[in-house]
Amino acid sequence: MSKSLLVISRQAPWSGPSAREALDIVLAGGAFDLPIGLLFLDDGVFQLATSQDAKAVQQKDLSANLQALSLFGIDDVFACRHSLNERGLVSPASAQPLSSEQIHEMIDRYEQVITL
Amino acid sequence: MKFAIALFSAAHAPSSRRALLFAQAALAGGHEIVRLFFYQDGVYSASSNIVAPQDEQDIASQWRAFVSEHQLDGVVCIAAALRRGVLNAEEATRYQRSAVNLDAPWALSGLGQLHDAAQAADRLICFGGP
Amino acid sequence: MSTLHVVSHSPFTDSRLNSCLRLCGAQDAILLCGDGAYALQAASAPFQALQAKGLKVFVLAEDSQARNLPVPAWADSVDYPAFVQLSINYDKVNTWL
Repeated sequence: MSKSLLVISRQAPWSGPSAREALDIVLAGGAFDLPIGLLFLDDGVFQLATSQDAKAVQQKDLSANLQALSLFGIDDVFACRHSLNERGLVSPASAQPLSSEQIHEMIDRYEQVITL
Repeated sequence: MKFAIALFSAAHAPSSRRALLFAQAALAGGHEIVRLFFYQDGVYSASSNIVAPQDEQDIASQWRAFVSEHQLDGVVCIAAALRRGVLNAEEATRYQRSAVNLDAPWALSGLGQLHDAAQAADRLICFGGP
Repeated sequence: MSTLHVVSHSPFTDSRLNSCLRLCGAQDAILLCGDGAYALQAASAPFQALQAKGLKVFVLAEDSQARNLPVPAWADSVDYPAFVQLSINYDKVNTWL
């Protein structure tokens, strides 16, 4: 039985390579058919904002990587409701919003976690 | 217990030293280190070109000595390394770059090695930040 | 399941400790290290938040010592062998990178 891993992504999409490198961990795990979950927390929820234009800052548009998640069998994608509210963001289509209590319970269910 | 230790910070970050001391304590306590995996800025902790000031700890050098002495599996993520200009001889040749700054005992490999280590270990511990 | 949360960022400049406290459960513990030890600055907001949360709090001894931060009665100072043991005692370690 494979160990489950939760990746918590806390950085905004273009604050350096962190957002992409967090997704790379998730996609690599998916490629190996591992049970991986992804939580967007704090500024990480900005990765889910709509109508972004990465080209304006000559950055990579990560939405293609985000869409690849389900192709790689990664369906457990969550967003922190508190972080979304703090930033005036609506509930994203691609991630299930969770309360702090629900997040705590969710973290408890995973065997390992990487928060970056 | 089996540990997989992932490092996300450069040699000059306090967390790199902390990871090293943790790793040393783990072995001293009779535990096993399945793999060290250096990702994000952790690739800089494997650089062979660091010249630490005389009055500071040379953590990169201490990491090298630690991995060699205990014959540990020290893996540096190739994608993170390339992006940050940390290249071994093979990659420097492949990309026609003028300098090699990653040598033994470090090996360049993919994120699969991080997942493989996490699966094999009882505990995955990450170090990074300040 | 219990998680050992590791925080190394100063709580005065960074939101990691806040987020960590928001998401921690009663079985969890926090290990302060590096600049995270500044959360033990007496009478500060982070100090009070940690004390109020009522979780088990550990601090890496070298970091509280270096910063001349007294360790309150509700926190435990640990060395590296104890840090290793903590990582085993708790089901997993969540480092707030």
